[in-house]
Amino acid sequence: MGRNNWESRDPHIFNLAKLVSGPNSILYKHEDLVAYDCDGFTIERHLPRAVVFPKNTEEVSMIVQYCSENELPFLARGAGTGLSGGAVPLNREVIISMVRMKRLLEVDLENRRAVVEPGFVNLKLTNSVSERGYYYAPDPSSQYACTIGGNVAENAGGAHCLKYGVTTNHILGLEVVLPNGDVIEIAPNGIPDFPGYDLLGLLTGSEGTLGIVTKITVRILKSPQARQTVLAYFDRVQDGSQAVSDIISSGIVPAALEMMDKVAIEGVEAAAFPVGHPKDIAAVLLIEVDGIAAGIDEQIQMILDVCKKSHVREVKVAKDEAERARWWANRKTGFGAMGAISPDYLVQDGVIPRSKLPEVLERIHQISEESGLRIANIFHAGDGNLHPLVLFDSRVPGETEKAIQAGSACLKACADAGGSITGEHGVGIEKMEEMRFVFTDDEIKAQTDIRDVFNPERLLNAGKLFPTPSRCSEMKQELKKAETAR
Amino acid sequence: MGLPEPDLNLPCANSGLGNYLWSDPPKEYKWADCVHCGLCLEACPTYEQLGQEQHSPRGRVHLIKSVAEGKLKVNEAFADPVFQCLDCRACTTACPANVDVGGLIEEARGQVRQALPLTGWKALTSKFFLETLFPHHKRLEAAGGLLKFYQKIGLQKVVRKTGLIHMMPEHLVEMEAIMPKIKSSVRKKYKNVNIIKAKGNTQHQVAMLTGCIMDVMFSDVNEATINVLTRNGNDVLIPKKQTCCGALHVHAGDREMGRKLAKQNIEAFERTDKVIVNAAGCGCMLKEYPELFHEEPEWYVRAQEFSAKVEDISKYLHDTGYEIPKAELKTRITYHDACHLAHGQGIRDEPRDLLLHIPGVEMVHMANADRCCGSAGIYNLTHPEMASAVLESKMANVPEDVEMISMGNPGCMLQMAAGVQKYGRNQRVVHTVQLLDWAYQKEDRQGGKSDGTK
Repeated sequence: MGRNNWESRDPHIFNLAKLVSGPNSILYKHEDLVAYDCDGFTIERHLPRAVVFPKNTEEVSMIVQYCSENELPFLARGAGTGLSGGAVPLNREVIISMVRMKRLLEVDLENRRAVVEPGFVNLKLTNSVSERGYYYAPDPSSQYACTIGGNVAENAGGAHCLKYGVTTNHILGLEVVLPNGDVIEIAPNGIPDFPGYDLLGLLTGSEGTLGIVTKITVRILKSPQARQTVLAYFDRVQDGSQAVSDIISSGIVPAALEMMDKVAIEGVEAAAFPVGHPKDIAAVLLIEVDGIAAGIDEQIQMILDVCKKSHVREVKVAKDEAERARWWANRKTGFGAMGAISPDYLVQDGVIPRSKLPEVLERIHQISEESGLRIANIFHAGDGNLHPLVLFDSRVPGETEKAIQAGSACLKACADAGGSITGEHGVGIEKMEEMRFVFTDDEIKAQTDIRDVFNPERLLNAGKLFPTPSRCSEMKQELKKAETAR
Repeated sequence: MGLPEPDLNLPCANSGLGNYLWSDPPKEYKWADCVHCGLCLEACPTYEQLGQEQHSPRGRVHLIKSVAEGKLKVNEAFADPVFQCLDCRACTTACPANVDVGGLIEEARGQVRQALPLTGWKALTSKFFLETLFPHHKRLEAAGGLLKFYQKIGLQKVVRKTGLIHMMPEHLVEMEAIMPKIKSSVRKKYKNVNIIKAKGNTQHQVAMLTGCIMDVMFSDVNEATINVLTRNGNDVLIPKKQTCCGALHVHAGDREMGRKLAKQNIEAFERTDKVIVNAAGCGCMLKEYPELFHEEPEWYVRAQEFSAKVEDISKYLHDTGYEIPKAELKTRITYHDACHLAHGQGIRDEPRDLLLHIPGVEMVHMANADRCCGSAGIYNLTHPEMASAVLESKMANVPEDVEMISMGNPGCMLQMAAGVQKYGRNQRVVHTVQLLDWAYQKEDRQGGKSDGTK
């Protein structure tokens, strides 16, 4: 960066630049910052003050300390694939990008764990150990690009979390830079079940509001000996849902049990990884079982039987790894594929009891008709984690607001069915107000009190995760209106 | 939303595309497909190097869109991410929604070059290469003499001087003998020949794009292409009016020159049914000619007709069938996917198939084979630092124990040869079609075939 190019008059930029080593370690030009005005949630866009690229924990700590001392809002960002706006700078934050801290620090096969820096990409971990017969289980659909640091912040899930659990079940230790710049280690050396409060559990899924993770010890698992994948087409959503319930109640725990509805199928088939799903079917199930080789065939047979009992139109087992990979690419790129049939989408993330699936899907269908917006459903059916994708065109005046309302109504339907408003994408900016659907004022206060222990000045990723008091009353009125209307 | 084809009745762009002031701006239907999911990030070599989102596909698309929305201006700060892109199209492969990032980048570059014309030495260099040299075959040939000299002292000298040739396995030395000496360009050689006749019965007639770099620096590849085509029943035409494909111009934002060259080629190949290309970058450009004519409906249609005739040599052979050579080459090779073959044209399996069917060829897998080598047209001249960082990670993936690296693009061949030299490796860089040709020649020498022996 030459002297003449130094366009910024913000003295903080100059000071921050001195804290990070290496070339191009700070961005401050308007054009560059525009690329950081949102993450995978594109509805709220705000420019950061600057973006800094630290190389190590010390640099992160120094940046945080500087921000803290100078009362500059700041937040951490990974690959920016989050879907709830967790990395969007609402308060002109200094964005601390973790992507240059992307080393795999240690692989300890004997103890089945690995230590990574937060910018390490999820899929790369599996790729690094797969030849030796191991893998990292949490597999969010964005795993090609998303970072493990971001996964920790959002407690990311994924298709295979039905059997193996979400990110929090795979985190053994964390190094964290606290909002005042102090560096702490939680569960050093990855010793499981460290005594005291479960701070790992608290930090994982805290959406970047309690601290910035700089080193992560994760659990790695032995790759399953065998694996089979089934694709089943249903003419009625109810039949597909019934099959999901019956598979689980038959005692099988599939590694993954995914469902897509008609609109979703239209999207993935129009996009880059089509597999030839029939256009006229109501639902497709993607079911995978894995484990020791003995017994896999038996489980597959049971699944085929269940599907047949539920009036499946067609059901098939992947004939080889290539076919399995095609089916999964089709499913895992599903959200992005919506771009092929709609300029914008808003993805929701409700959780419901599996038994309520047909009922809630029907309600979502009604919401779609009421709003006049198409809604595609791609979801982890096995654990009742719905992803209604509200398709809209932000260029049409008023349509963005309509989409937000429709998304919120979907979450309300999930909460009403005894479920929750987020399974794995986090609350972020998107679902703050909807926290009211599942928590009372006191419960929210209890949680913000915890946040204030870590982040008392609220400089770190402020204005997210919990509703702000002013909006609470509006939301209450909404709820009241809905109550009386019923 | 993805429209299959542009609406030819759309008004010219300067009526309302924000801060794009010239005609032929980035097209809205292209960026409207991007939902900002970020699955492209890890596919991007510049993002891999820099980790900065303005240097990532979705970041660039976001910036391009922001100019159209009037939020940004076409200025230096916008030009940097747009020109830092290698135009390698790896993002297009990764993208779930098929966003045409490459097309957007090229259109954006067109705007940048008009808003900020190059000045100083950059302007001179660019003008020299893109206007003075490439479109003129004769000048290129003259320059080619120098390049050959460079090639000789740069690469072959290393092999010979270090005595490596004595350490090479015998069959490689043998191959060295089989390999044709660098000859004059095929356009010069067949100057007075209308049709290069098929050996045996004519089954098809094809026209061939000789390319500029290919014909000057790698005339042996063109020669091999002709040999392989004629051996497999193709009459080969080399239309005289053909010129540079214009890819380098379009990559550099000179779309006007690109259009001019495109028109000349469309006319030159008008009367042929098939246009065979052995340079991935050129093939991709020819297939994308319609993109240049969104505002010239008549030429848009002609370009579409032309593009439908274009095929890469490997895919053409694969699809129309070819004689499997009988002689054994006994060599271990690896294959590098040229970006504009794999990502640009979706051709991945066909060249590998050709290689695997040559007896005695053992293929060794290259990790991330479809990662850019950093050549990217003249990118290695305009962005040497990034190009060399990209080359370094490419070379790290080239298996140690192979004798040759095969590929289908001259730009890659130069860059990979430079990589081989820079990192002290000893692989020979070859074009896929050369291996096939050598196998045929060896077969003929061994008397495996009675007709067509040279």
